[in-house]
Amino acid sequence: MKFEVAQLHCAYMLREMAVPAIRTSKLSKAYGAGRGLFDLDLEVTPREVFGYLGPNGAGKTTTIRLLMGMIKPSSGGAYVFGLDCKRDYVEVKRRVGYLPGDMPQFGSLRGKDVVAYLGGMRGGADPNVVHGIAERFDLDLNRRFREYSSGNKRKLGILLAFMHKPDLLILDEPTNGLDPLNQQEFYELLREAREGGASVFLSSHVLSEVEHICDTVGILRAGKLVRVARLDDLRAAGETSLEEIFLSYYSDTDHHQKALPE
Amino acid sequence: MTAIRLSLRLGRWGLLGFSILTFAASLIQAIGFYQIAGHTAASRAAFAQSMSQLASQLTFILPPPAGLDTVGGYVEWRSFGGLAILFAVWGLVSGSGAARGDEERGLVEAVLATGLTRSRWLASRVIAYALAVFVGALAGGLGLIAGVAGGHGSINPVPVVEICVALAALGLSCYSLTVLIAQVVGARVATAAAGVVLLALFLVNRLSQTFTWLAAWRWISPFHYYELNQPLAPGGAFDGRATLTMLGIAMVGAAVAAAAFEWRDLGAPLVRWPSRQRPAGYEASHSPLWRIPVVRGLYERRAGLATWAVALAALGVLFVYLTKTLLQPLLSIPTLSQFFGANAGGQLFTTFLGYVWLTFAQLLFAAFAITQVARWSAEDSDGRLELILSTPRSRASVVVERAIALALGAALVAAASGVAVAVAANYQAMEVSRERLAEGTLLLVPFALVFAAAGAVLAAWNPRAAVGLLGGLAFASYLVDELGPLFRWPAWIQDLSAFKLFGTPLSNGVDRGGLAIMVVIILVGFGASILLIERRDVGA
Repeated sequence: MKFEVAQLHCAYMLREMAVPAIRTSKLSKAYGAGRGLFDLDLEVTPREVFGYLGPNGAGKTTTIRLLMGMIKPSSGGAYVFGLDCKRDYVEVKRRVGYLPGDMPQFGSLRGKDVVAYLGGMRGGADPNVVHGIAERFDLDLNRRFREYSSGNKRKLGILLAFMHKPDLLILDEPTNGLDPLNQQEFYELLREAREGGASVFLSSHVLSEVEHICDTVGILRAGKLVRVARLDDLRAAGETSLEEIFLSYYSDTDHHQKALPE
Repeated sequence: MTAIRLSLRLGRWGLLGFSILTFAASLIQAIGFYQIAGHTAASRAAFAQSMSQLASQLTFILPPPAGLDTVGGYVEWRSFGGLAILFAVWGLVSGSGAARGDEERGLVEAVLATGLTRSRWLASRVIAYALAVFVGALAGGLGLIAGVAGGHGSINPVPVVEICVALAALGLSCYSLTVLIAQVVGARVATAAAGVVLLALFLVNRLSQTFTWLAAWRWISPFHYYELNQPLAPGGAFDGRATLTMLGIAMVGAAVAAAAFEWRDLGAPLVRWPSRQRPAGYEASHSPLWRIPVVRGLYERRAGLATWAVALAALGVLFVYLTKTLLQPLLSIPTLSQFFGANAGGQLFTTFLGYVWLTFAQLLFAAFAITQVARWSAEDSDGRLELILSTPRSRASVVVERAIALALGAALVAAASGVAVAVAANYQAMEVSRERLAEGTLLLVPFALVFAAAGAVLAAWNPRAAVGLLGGLAFASYLVDELGPLFRWPAWIQDLSAFKLFGTPLSNGVDRGGLAIMVVIILVGFGASILLIERRDVGA
């Protein structure tokens, strides 16, 4: 009996491993005047940490919002664990932890109320995870949201993204506003999530950060994915640093090309 | 000069909106006067008599009228009397926005970083508002002149300018008082605190007409000095001293506010209450209420709902006392007693209370719905909706939960006011049908939902424009109800007004047809809102 259960568990694991955490197919979002995201073909495998690079307005947040079902694609499709992000967006979000680029305002609500409010919408959050993350970041949940510094607001956002132990973390510039000590704590948290079986898709401007924590990197330029590479492969091939690779895609003439309206 | 230009730019939409409202209000009342009162002395005397009766029912809002048989006297009472409230609201909104709203947004910090002193910045805001409020008041005068011209009448422009100056002085004094109060209290409560003070000043003046013991305090209210000006009515005059007093209040208020602004820390109030030290906490709230759909929405805004409930209950009690105080002396006159008995069908108190209280309550419930819609729009534009939708919830469920929470919140506020009115009426030994009072009070819930449904459609379509458009819709709906019978507009146009659909439930019972239309509007509105929000990009 125990053997059968183990077999079933293994079969389930193998099936899960076979389905990409994120897959996009010719995903496009046109804003007009040649701006937007175009024909994005991307795959993030389970347990992979994928770093998404690009300058302001390149289309990173647009990609993230398309994956979260916040905005509708002009064409193409996006899938999370095989679920259609447009059609099955409720199911997708059961398995995703999301950190937006800017934290919204919760006014005079206390941190603990914000966690309970959004946790309640998920059907509950793991109290041990909440306590653990809040303590690690020294985030006082008894304080009102309006009293939080921008760094503390970011920590609260990280807590909200991790609190239900999601299978996939979608994080928009997660370390923005965090001090170096808390950045290290965040990297550790990310490592633990990955060891726990989670996949991560994060956008960032900080090349050293991406080099430090990601397995794979994707570079976006003017709404188009111009390069996807595993960092181990780059290192093995003796390629130049990620910074040089990144900058090589942004010659002077292209630098001001942007994907999104200002 | 640059600071004044920037200040004017920041207030340009308020200036445009209030100028249009002021112009329209005076124009419509002036045209209405000629259409209804006619052109003969006899018809105007009859009109003045009927308006005097109406004025006795509106003493809690409008000043006592004079010369109602003339276009000047009528517009001065009906339009410029009401515009005093409108300009106080304008002063309140603009003042709290200038003093604390812009500070919260970081604008003041950016401006002060350029080297401008705090006093000069505050002075530029006051000067810009003074210019704006004068233009807004003049729009009312232009509306009056245009209306008189349309009625083939004539009016001396000097008194028109005089009433506009008085109105602008009132608006400016309300603005300065708001700016002053906003320096003293926290940004979160600045608007509410200033609103309470301005409401108290308004009520001290208005209620002193009914409760004589309040007359000794009338001098503290700028509304009193505004009402001393009656340049448009025959025999009335512009009171320069009263107008200078209002301007003095504005100047002193602004000067003290500037001193307080120099003294306090940016982002902090002048008076800080010692806060209790709390130990750091690392756990989510244990309250189970956060987990229950709808209940969590009500729990989150419990303070606001409690304020609404208490305020409406208090106003309900006040209106019961006003009804009793106004009607009792009239009933002691035998001819009037017979007249009222014949026209009110033996339910005089019920009919009168229904008119004064429920009419006022409708306006407040429309405002309640608009504040909730403003919250939905803010959730959308500040990214809160995005975070809510990052949880496993459908967009439709968000709309449905909002609608149910609003209905329950409105029911709570309505119940509090209804119970307060019933208890006060009982205490005053007034014969008021409890059944009809309960029905009429509960009817306020679908009434609020009609505006909420329209707001839900607008918020789903364009959240940034939703509040302005809904406010305009509510104002148009009110105008249709007020002016439709006067101008004998077709019935189908009058039926477009939510205020008409509400009917007169205390005197005639619930209008089932009107209720059915309201239910249809609510269902269609929220249904359309779901369809729109499902198709729209969120956070884009």
